[in-house]
Amino acid sequence: MSDATGDETADEARADGGTTAPTADPSAAETAAAGVAGEGGGRSSNTFLGDVWVNFKRWNVKAVRNPFVLVVSLVQPVIFLVLFTEVFGNVAGRAVSEGLPGVSYETYLVPAIAIQVSLAAAVTSGIGLVNDIENGMFEKVLVSPMNRTAVFLGKTAAEVFRIAIQVAIILGLGVLLGAEIETGVVGAAAIVATGIVFSLWFIALSNSLAVLTRDQESTIIGANLLQFPLLFLSSAFLPLETLPDWIQTFARLNPVTYGVDTARALMLDRDVMTVVEVSRFDGAMNTVVPGFAVLLGLAVAFGSVAVFLLSRASSSDVQ
Amino acid sequence: MSSPGSDESPAIAVDGLELTYSDGTRAVDGVDMTVPRGEFFGFLGPNGAGKTTTIKVLATLLSPTAGEVTVNGFDVRSDPRKVRESIGYMAQETSIDPELTAAENVRFACEAYGVPRGQRADRVDELLDLVDLGDVADKRAEEFSGGMKKRLDAATALVHRPPLVFLDEPTTGLDPKARNRLWEYFRRINDRGTTIFLTTQYLEEADQLCDRLAVILDGGIVAEGSPAELKREVGGEVLEVHFEGGDGGDARSADADRGDRADGDSGDDRERAAEIAREFDPFTGATVEVTDDGISVTAATAREHGTDLLVALRDAGLTVTGFNVRAPTLDDVFLAITGEEVETERMDAGREEVQA
Repeated sequence: MSDATGDETADEARADGGTTAPTADPSAAETAAAGVAGEGGGRSSNTFLGDVWVNFKRWNVKAVRNPFVLVVSLVQPVIFLVLFTEVFGNVAGRAVSEGLPGVSYETYLVPAIAIQVSLAAAVTSGIGLVNDIENGMFEKVLVSPMNRTAVFLGKTAAEVFRIAIQVAIILGLGVLLGAEIETGVVGAAAIVATGIVFSLWFIALSNSLAVLTRDQESTIIGANLLQFPLLFLSSAFLPLETLPDWIQTFARLNPVTYGVDTARALMLDRDVMTVVEVSRFDGAMNTVVPGFAVLLGLAVAFGSVAVFLLSRASSSDVQ
Repeated sequence: MSSPGSDESPAIAVDGLELTYSDGTRAVDGVDMTVPRGEFFGFLGPNGAGKTTTIKVLATLLSPTAGEVTVNGFDVRSDPRKVRESIGYMAQETSIDPELTAAENVRFACEAYGVPRGQRADRVDELLDLVDLGDVADKRAEEFSGGMKKRLDAATALVHRPPLVFLDEPTTGLDPKARNRLWEYFRRINDRGTTIFLTTQYLEEADQLCDRLAVILDGGIVAEGSPAELKREVGGEVLEVHFEGGDGGDARSADADRGDRADGDSGDDRERAAEIAREFDPFTGATVEVTDDGISVTAATAREHGTDLLVALRDAGLTVTGFNVRAPTLDDVFLAITGEEVETERMDAGREEVQA
């Protein structure tokens, strides 16, 4: 609840500084001057960052208010983590150690679960948008002087922030279950970053579904329907070599493979890229660099579609 | 010509507004209107007449297909952000975040509209007091009744003390008590000098609140003026006569469900009475309508010659069970304007039936 009243925090003062405060941070004031009416008086002079922050705060308060969503999007991956290691640990562990000697199944699986968490959490982004459309907040925000890009950036930032926390929780749990992060704290942070970058394309996709269907159930079903095939038809749970050819083919086109391989390379500190051979870099970087490149490309591609759909929805269908 | 945003420019100036949706629906077709600052302006019309479309253009949610629209002196096309800063907008559907408390909803609006940080806490308290939600400030909005949600919504539209507020059917679906309460707030806001643009289907609401009205029908404005002027246009007073065997003893407004008037004997009686009233000499130029339980005659001389008509009806063998002479309401205005085309069509159909 401290988010709700955390108005006086230093953080906000910095981000929202241009808002009429005479002690405004100069860079924020510049942004304000660029986007806002000078003669509008003291009534309204939002900054871009201020608008981002206002929406970031609102979505975080909503997330805290709705702990059920937070927990549920964590529970499924945790169940997977425990069940897979316990049930398939022996069998799968053997398959893993053929390709990656000395790597336990726990260690192999944790990066995949981290990606699963960001996939599951990204689904809720579209649900939030549908709810906003349904309860009128979407239009309310459109009619306010807030910068529309800032509005969606703030919302996405709140979701990404939550994903970062959830991935960190999974990594902590994984270590407790016996997984080892070879690259240490820096590597763990990099895995969190991978989870964030990976989540972007799916956040964009679930928002696109939300705008297209404008219906909560369709958005949930659509996003969930994709979630499991994407996870299983990838390098997430077993080494690709052990899987049938058609799955291998699909996995090469599957964004999850790139996310999991990148996270796994960081976890194991090895080049484990299953799809493309890159050898220009050093060790794990041969996976991490192309992995990030693909994920960022996907984020841009899906993001553009979502931005297009959102801006179309914002301006309604008028000739 | 006044400079943009200056105090001399009218709150709303619309010239030749047209709006066509991408599916080809022409929702607004050539609307002109001017709303001076400080006025309580009512925008009336039946469902689908173009009320909400017009208000959305004024609030920059829709971009006009053609025409010039300025709000507080700012062009909605070239200066949408300045328009947004200078207006409050309350949508037809209640728009609040149910997961936030009342205070948080208002605070979010304060932040969205850039209310200076130092003034936010006071503004939140002040507005929640204005709409009588001060004691539930820290309750989540999802626990509120429909009326409370509407009041909260109204409060969030006022955070930046806008000189102009749009209210799109603000009382639809509320019980009379909640409605009266909202009216009270709207009056208070208007007394503070805020221009109010209200759309409504309730004529009583427009009559109670508005300084001036415009009636929109099929995307165009068909009447404009103060409530009193519009009532004068109806042309006189209304004489309602009830007959035995009507659907109910109570006087009903003329617009109440005329659909099933043709059934039964009383229907014939009423038709006969209407015919007599139409041919009644002192009532030249009168409008005669068949209602659920009788007829309704609008005429300049309804008060003086009403009894003569009653006698004529009795002479024709009709049993009058009640009558009432009253001043016209906006309902009559609305019907006279919006119902005319529908009415003639229906009457022609009725006559054919009778002949057959």
